[in-house]
Amino acid sequence: MALNEHGTGGANGGAERDPRLERLYHEAANEAPPAHLDAAILAAARREVEARPRTLASTLRRWHVPASVAAVVVVSVTLVILVREEERAEQPVQAPVPAAVSRVEEATALQTPPAPGEDTKEAAQMRRAAPVPQRQELRDDMKFSTALGKRDDQARIEPGPHPSSGMAAEATPEPAAKPLPERFGAASPGLAEGGAAPAAADTVVAGRLEGAPAAASESDRPAPGAQRPMSATPEMTVRAIGKSRPAIWEGFEKEPPEKWLARIEELRRQGRSPEAEEMFAEFKRRFPEHPQAAGPR
Amino acid sequence: MAWTAESSDEELMLHYRDGDAGAFDVLYARHKGGLYRYLLRQCRNAAAAEELFQDVWMNLIRARAGYTVQAKFTTFLYRVAHNRLIDHYRKSNQATVVSLDDKVEDGAAIVDPPDERERPQDETLDAKRQAGRLMALISELPEAQREAFLLQQEGGMTVEEIAQATGVSRETAKSRLRYAMSRLRRGMLEWR
Repeated sequence: MALNEHGTGGANGGAERDPRLERLYHEAANEAPPAHLDAAILAAARREVEARPRTLASTLRRWHVPASVAAVVVVSVTLVILVREEERAEQPVQAPVPAAVSRVEEATALQTPPAPGEDTKEAAQMRRAAPVPQRQELRDDMKFSTALGKRDDQARIEPGPHPSSGMAAEATPEPAAKPLPERFGAASPGLAEGGAAPAAADTVVAGRLEGAPAAASESDRPAPGAQRPMSATPEMTVRAIGKSRPAIWEGFEKEPPEKWLARIEELRRQGRSPEAEEMFAEFKRRFPEHPQAAGPR
Repeated sequence: MAWTAESSDEELMLHYRDGDAGAFDVLYARHKGGLYRYLLRQCRNAAAAEELFQDVWMNLIRARAGYTVQAKFTTFLYRVAHNRLIDHYRKSNQATVVSLDDKVEDGAAIVDPPDERERPQDETLDAKRQAGRLMALISELPEAQREAFLLQQEGGMTVEEIAQATGVSRETAKSRLRYAMSRLRRGMLEWR
């Protein structure tokens, strides 16, 4: 039988293959290792396994891919959660507060009974008549923004009247609100720091958030025995940390108009115009019938 | 995951590495014949072949803990065997080491093996005699060509794998294989 007719291997790999030759070789090549060699090698293989069942290296090698994947997943999820929480923590400061504040206000109005001796009608009237918070308030606002390191300068309160009269009333230090310290005296240590109601009002101004109606701050004051209607808003927190300042007219509450005017004049001479303006506004509110109140300052 | 009889060599070796001696039994049964014949034809001495055969498997057993799949298992196995053979050649100072280079790969250099042309032409040859003739031709091949042929036939390796196992370029391996086949074909052609 000749093998030459199959040329160079045909389709099975060119000149490197020849099926006829290969078949002939495999028919002829049937030598095998002796049985004792098989037994020796297989026994050695078993001995090796029994001696070292599983090395630490092989165990680690087996788990290093799943462990790496798990670590990557855990780190990624942790990062995502952290970023989301950070965003959530930033949102209340940047988000419009009025909605939350009005809810607090409503809740407080429902839950807080009027304090004994408080003339609510008169208080409301005084609130409407109260002057708009002026430069001092703005200064305090700026202090607050700087202290918190907030970046949204555009949202800062513009000088001038607030869109809501309630806001103005809130910011106004008013003697008529004297019962207020009694209302929230012990309930809010941060507010009690100032001692008197006007000081507390200043604290409110200082703690106001950008663009937030200040009226909400009054609703934040807890009445004695009343439960806090909601968890602390950022404004409340800010109020708590706000620095209270005694009113410029403190100590003059029972003084006659002449003393007020003399003090105002003195402040003007000292160049403390904002304080003088502030005191004069209070003077006008207290003594509306006084000729100096109607005339030029 | 458990191994089966159809599992790949690499899977079996990984199972053995991880402590399953049964996987090694299957692996050994698959490759013992091919490896033994490769060593036997290369060193042409049964005792030496057995010793080398045992050495190769023992090396594999000892290296099991560090085994990772970086190439086909047969490539790995026959590379170990190839290196062990070279050591053997060096130790025994065999002249065949010289033929590991490709100096004799010119077609013109092929010398006809001693054949039985003197036999009567009308004598019919049975398959056994043909096989005997083929084996004689294989043993006459230069070392490198024979190795390439045996790796292809016993290890079931491709040209690329042969190149990898023997540490030469693909073209060299292909050339060796081509010359080997050419010699074998020519030897069988003249023998009717």
